[in-house]
Amino acid sequence: MPIISRWMIRCSFVYLLLGTLLGAVMLVHKAYPLHPAVWQLLPIHIEITIFGWIIQLTLGTGYWMLPRFLESPQRGKKIPAILMVLFLNLGIMFVVINSLVQTTLQLSIAGRLFELASVILFISLHWNRIVTYRSRE
Amino acid sequence: MPLISRTFIKAGMIFFALSLITSLLIEVNISALPGLIPLFWHMLIVGWITQIIFGVSIWMFPGRNRDEGFKAQLWGWLTFIFLNTGLILRVISEPMSGVAATGIWKILLVLSAILQVLAVSTYIIEMWPRTMSKKQQREKRKRQRNRKKKEERQ
Repeated sequence: MPIISRWMIRCSFVYLLLGTLLGAVMLVHKAYPLHPAVWQLLPIHIEITIFGWIIQLTLGTGYWMLPRFLESPQRGKKIPAILMVLFLNLGIMFVVINSLVQTTLQLSIAGRLFELASVILFISLHWNRIVTYRSRE
Repeated sequence: MPLISRTFIKAGMIFFALSLITSLLIEVNISALPGLIPLFWHMLIVGWITQIIFGVSIWMFPGRNRDEGFKAQLWGWLTFIFLNTGLILRVISEPMSGVAATGIWKILLVLSAILQVLAVSTYIIEMWPRTMSKKQQREKRKRQRNRKKKEERQ
């Protein structure tokens, strides 16, 4: 498993644990109200579980498992792959911080732009890897 | 495909169908039970998507213990038991805690939250060391072979 995938998959595990803990706090709050502000965790719970866990894990696994190029570098250039990981996680963090802190900065827009940049990098890295090397009969 | 993965995937399929039945109940508005929308989303995202990810990753990620059985697949089975018990408890207790004022449903809801956190923790315990490079995988296999040889000699 390449290092890029290992980073993404391990980050996704951390987000899974965080997202589940936040969900558990909200579930306990439903039974025994803890604090009115607990419901502010809902958008963070959704962002972390969807983008941090599911999307990050699928991107990391796709980078590892999709067919590789026959020549080196077999999974494409390393720099765009590193940027893909960096942008996705920066994007998630910006969106989460925007939900936590009252600020005039458009952090959620910046976060979504980072996530979009990461997805574009993922597509550009993988578009030409969606091939078959089996010759037609 | 190992038994643990097949069990995860089949349980996931059941939750997939249940989530869509719940969404139908929401759409036609015939259920008197409250709180069905979060249940629909959690059966879909946790019961189906997360469960199928768990099952497939336990099967496909490197470093799998090929022995079957509860002891050999301890963390995987604990994950399965915690996740499904937690989710079933939630599916029952969340609407019921909105209808009945008895404390038992609230306790079950808290128990469901704890079980789901436990499920994620045991899954990470199983998968974290298996997120490894080819070199690490080769070294692990080498260590396992050496250990087996030592045991055979003794």
